Amino acid sequence: MNLVAEHRLRNSLAESRQLEGWIKSFAEAAGLSATARNAFDLALVEWVTNVISYAYEDRREHWITVRFLAAPGQARVEVEDEGRAFNPLTLSPVDTGTPLEQRPTGGLGVHMIRQLMDSVEYRRADGRNILTLTRSSGATE
Amino acid sequence: MPINTKPSGDGVELFLAGRVDGAMANELEVAILDAIRSGTKTLYINMAEATFLCSAGLRVLLQYWRQMKSGGKQFHVTRPSPEVDSVLAMTGFREQMVEGARPN
Repeated sequence: MNLVAEHRLRNSLAESRQLEGWIKSFAEAAGLSATARNAFDLALVEWVTNVISYAYEDRREHWITVRFLAAPGQARVEVEDEGRAFNPLTLSPVDTGTPLEQRPTGGLGVHMIRQLMDSVEYRRADGRNILTLTRSSGATE
Repeated sequence: MPINTKPSGDGVELFLAGRVDGAMANELEVAILDAIRSGTKTLYINMAEATFLCSAGLRVLLQYWRQMKSGGKQFHVTRPSPEVDSVLAMTGFREQMVEGARPN
């Protein structure tokens, strides 16, 4: 995979509004289909919002790094943060067949990330969480 | 983008446009609460012009869908755009929440 772009944002929800523009530029540079662009857009917003909302135990400023990578037919986004360790792949899957009356309200963001991506990988290294989202850059679901 | 509200038959219809992100989800909650306070029996959330729906928006939809339903009232998402429809389908919301939805 070739690095297309790397950006950093602070841990504030106002800053996360930059993601939309970064995804738009990435989609143009990597030739993503509209389906792939929308999938990365939503998955990235869900994950970064989760990091900003829950990863930090203090109120200090922290930086989150977002890397955009591409190869023929494939695209990848990596998100790195220095928050508390959290592997989203350990969450129980959401049972979408459960009636809405009985649904837990949490877990939908991670559920969608897993649905939208071909592969989601997590690793913890040097006190940092690194989430890797990979998907076909074409229109296939 | 502001949320427009207008009377619709026996209820109130809210029109969402653009990105339903965390900030818009907060605005949606305020608009829904206003409509509930006005005593509406049916709430329609028109998402024809919404291009993005994240889990914060889904949580608001779920919370007030439940509240309206448990009070014997109705809450429907109407005319979801393709982007929104895809999110409602992948989370299992579509069948129960979207007006006129058919099972997948």
